[in-house]
Amino acid sequence: MRLVRLLLLYTCLVIASVVMLVPLVWLIAAAFKQGEDFFVYDFFPPPGRLSLNNFRSLFDQLPFLSFLVNSLFVSSTTVVIQLAFSSLGGFALAKYEFRGKRAVMFLMLSTLVIPPEVLLAPLYELIYRLGLMDSYRGLIAPHAVSVFGMFLFAQSMKQVPDDLLLAGRVDGCTEFGLYWRVVMPVSRPMIGAFCLIAFMSSWNSFIWPLIVLHSQDNFTLPLGLNQMVGVYKEDYGALMAGTLLSVLPVAVLFFALQKEFVAGLTTGAVKG
Amino acid sequence: MSRWLDKLSGVIPIGLAPAVLLVIAVVAGGVVLARGKTQERADITVWTFSNTHYDTFKQTVPGFRRHMSPESIPGIDLQLVHYRVLDRRLRSTMWAGMDVPDLVEVNFNRAGTFFRGPVDQVGFIDLTPYLQRKDDAGQTYLERILPSRLAAYTDRGRVFGLPHDVHPYAIAYRRDIFEAEGIDPESLETWEDFIEAGQKLTIPDKQYMLQLDDTGVLSFEALLLQRGGGFFDSGGALTIDNETAVQSMLWFVPLVAGPQRISDNPAAQGQAFYKAVGDGYIVCFLCPDWLTKKIEMNLPQLAGKLALMPIPAVTPGGRRTTVRSGTMFGITADTPDPELAWELATYLYFDPDQVGPRFRQTNTLPANRDAWEDPAFQEPRAYWSNQSIGELYINLADQAPTQYSSPFQEQAAAKVGQVIAGACAYYRQHGDVGFEAYVRKSLRDQAKAVRNQIQRNPF
Amino acid sequence: MWYRIQSRYAPYLFISPFLLLFALFWAYPLTQSLRLSFYATSGPGSQVYIGLDNFRFLLSDPDFHLAVWNTLIYALFVVVVQLPLSLGLAVLLNRPGLRLRNVFRFVFFSPHLMGTVFASVLFGLIFAPRFGVFNRVLHLMVGLPMNTRWLGDADLVMPAIIILSLWLNVGFYMIYLLAALQGVRQDLYEAARVDGAGPWVRFRHVTLPGIWPVLLFVMVISTIGAFRVFELPWLLLQSTTGPDQSGLFIVTYLYQNGFEAADLGYASAIGWLLTAGVMLLTLVQLRLGGLGRGGES
Repeated sequence: MRLVRLLLLYTCLVIASVVMLVPLVWLIAAAFKQGEDFFVYDFFPPPGRLSLNNFRSLFDQLPFLSFLVNSLFVSSTTVVIQLAFSSLGGFALAKYEFRGKRAVMFLMLSTLVIPPEVLLAPLYELIYRLGLMDSYRGLIAPHAVSVFGMFLFAQSMKQVPDDLLLAGRVDGCTEFGLYWRVVMPVSRPMIGAFCLIAFMSSWNSFIWPLIVLHSQDNFTLPLGLNQMVGVYKEDYGALMAGTLLSVLPVAVLFFALQKEFVAGLTTGAVKG
Repeated sequence: MSRWLDKLSGVIPIGLAPAVLLVIAVVAGGVVLARGKTQERADITVWTFSNTHYDTFKQTVPGFRRHMSPESIPGIDLQLVHYRVLDRRLRSTMWAGMDVPDLVEVNFNRAGTFFRGPVDQVGFIDLTPYLQRKDDAGQTYLERILPSRLAAYTDRGRVFGLPHDVHPYAIAYRRDIFEAEGIDPESLETWEDFIEAGQKLTIPDKQYMLQLDDTGVLSFEALLLQRGGGFFDSGGALTIDNETAVQSMLWFVPLVAGPQRISDNPAAQGQAFYKAVGDGYIVCFLCPDWLTKKIEMNLPQLAGKLALMPIPAVTPGGRRTTVRSGTMFGITADTPDPELAWELATYLYFDPDQVGPRFRQTNTLPANRDAWEDPAFQEPRAYWSNQSIGELYINLADQAPTQYSSPFQEQAAAKVGQVIAGACAYYRQHGDVGFEAYVRKSLRDQAKAVRNQIQRNPF
Repeated sequence: MWYRIQSRYAPYLFISPFLLLFALFWAYPLTQSLRLSFYATSGPGSQVYIGLDNFRFLLSDPDFHLAVWNTLIYALFVVVVQLPLSLGLAVLLNRPGLRLRNVFRFVFFSPHLMGTVFASVLFGLIFAPRFGVFNRVLHLMVGLPMNTRWLGDADLVMPAIIILSLWLNVGFYMIYLLAALQGVRQDLYEAARVDGAGPWVRFRHVTLPGIWPVLLFVMVISTIGAFRVFELPWLLLQSTTGPDQSGLFIVTYLYQNGFEAADLGYASAIGWLLTAGVMLLTLVQLRLGGLGRGGES
């Protein structure tokens, strides 16, 4: 009886996995398929017909390496800055009572709820007025604080025992010292989780970079690849190849941070 | 490996991830800085959204520098801005009043939205005085450019855009299939002839005579224009519910839906479309000039098997072609040097040395007829069964109907698309019963919705 | 002395990056946008004050009604289908001693790694009629006609969008719920088992209350996200609203009216209406879920 249930469990999981993976497998296959074979073979063509043409075409048509470096820079910088500001803010929310705290939280909620499209045009004008158009500063600055991150950190930092903080203060630790030496190290898992989420969000972001960045030299990966699907040009094979390459860094990061990611969410989820 | 990682992460208090990211940020940042910026102060900025145009402009631009006198070689910043973002970015810059390009290519669909507002506040300059200048041969551009194309970018008597193209439509057909079935393209002079042949050729689920879009206006708009209709008239009034539109819709829907249809729509464009043509699932399709190049690139296996024929006329002796969409060059009102912009625009579009090679590269007919005398247009093309497609399109160009732009072009297109989708569904279910009444009402309702939007607009 | 000062003002300092950036990059543009919503605009310098006209037209525009309807349907499915699926997968993965748990977890999360932009383009090809792999597989399994036009048939567009959304997001929310599940105290389960409670009862009385805050959090977040949906259907339908506007959502409507028809005033009005609606809904959800105060999740 138990065996049957176990079997059922694994079957469900395997079916779900297949459903999740089929499009990805198709993506990989599409990246290595030649143009004529694109809709001839459902997934992989016979080994003889595998080709790197799409990748060649991709690198021919676009400065792909450039896009990759740009994306790496933008995303990692964004995450580091967001980490600093969000964890600070989350710490304040978690461990302090101060005037205006509820107002602050209301403001925070409002940022999560309002669709960013409303802000696109006035924000664009503002960025220009500040002389930050087509620059990474202009790209990153409006998103330097992640409100979502603040919520995450607030949640996880709430669980740091107040005694620890008290002990620190008794020892003459400054508030910032508490943050840096006591609370942050304990929040390691949440930091890992946040890094992953923030990185993914920045890596895949599309509309804002599309508006702010003008020169192709500055493009991030989604922008660069999107050029392949335009009014006068469609090269789905190369697009699939580029997509595949673009997803790899995030996948690697996730694979490396999986444990911390889940651990971070666990701490975040458990309530006192 | 993981032990080493654990050790490392033990050293850094806040964890491995931020440290790694910091390292990446620094390294990548270094690369970005080292790359530096080639920011030569550009005298003139040009935006385009089309990869093809961008490529041809890049080739043309060096010639421009020589064309101008050496003392005044301008720095030209040519930017490829993605189609889906160009007009948004253009609008944002115009709205903010800064960083506006000097020359910008705008697609027909969006062009009308830039002509809105008080006429002297439109973001583009009126090109009429430039078009009226005589050149060395005593000709003006107004005379050289096809009037129907100029009309597309004219608003309240002012010409805001220099037309790039004509985009005449022909029908591309599988010559091998026609021959096998004994169909002579010359005999298909009217739509009646064509539909009759279509019904012979169409085998449901296996082979269809014609590819027509039944979810949107990609086909319908062109066919409506052929019949003398359109979404807007020269005064900018909405005409999607006038009698021509109704009759066209009544004619169109049975072609794509219902038991007698000769058309299927596996895909309007892209890989799926090419596959359908390559398989012979689709025998004919509407083919504007630019599509021929894409066909050549994407269906090499059909070389020599495809050919072009003029579109069947609506009535005997009638118009054998139509148009749809296109691109214009606009000179923005904020530009400091409109003369330079004009020189560059006409050079990029109309330079006689470039016209031939460009046609070979893109198969696109330019809007100025004096270019058509270039021998490149007469060359027979092996791919197209040795037809001279240039000659064919040139012969059609004069018959091209006029399409008028409007700020509400896209709304109108969306609404008509809705009507088509609904009408097809209706026809599939009910056939001819009550069909005309349905179409009339549907068009009228959607027209009313667009007119509401037009009326809201205080400009 | 310094110690006392910094001790007192520390929280304000910590929260100041947020406040500064909020003021500059959020509040200021937002107020601009609010002002605009009472104007009709068209490009450079053309602004005409029209009071509440934007809102009046908005509420009477059948297109907007359609957009709201589509968005509601989509949000409903997200809550009613996506959440249980995420929870279900999380429960399956939570089984103690499960082999390959990490592998499964990675597999389920991997679609989300792709990102909406790339996934939408990918699925544009996958949903293709006659050749798309989606039709192929369904044809083999249940005999679905190969001609099924997921993105070309007005009735099938919403299911296609929902399927893509599920594929992208189920794994993402599953991770949260899995983490929450793993936080539920095991002794509570033991106690329940000892009391003779079956699995379903255990689920209702131990699991659900245990993960309730996270579940509520996920529900709120996914609802908000559903109301803001734009990139997914827009890119899937190749920058159109699909046949018969079946892919028209509120933010799509906003984008078309703000950035294609260039009426930023009208777009601002739409944005504000959407915001008000979503905030209201969020408050309702939170109240009903028992977390009335500011501390979400």
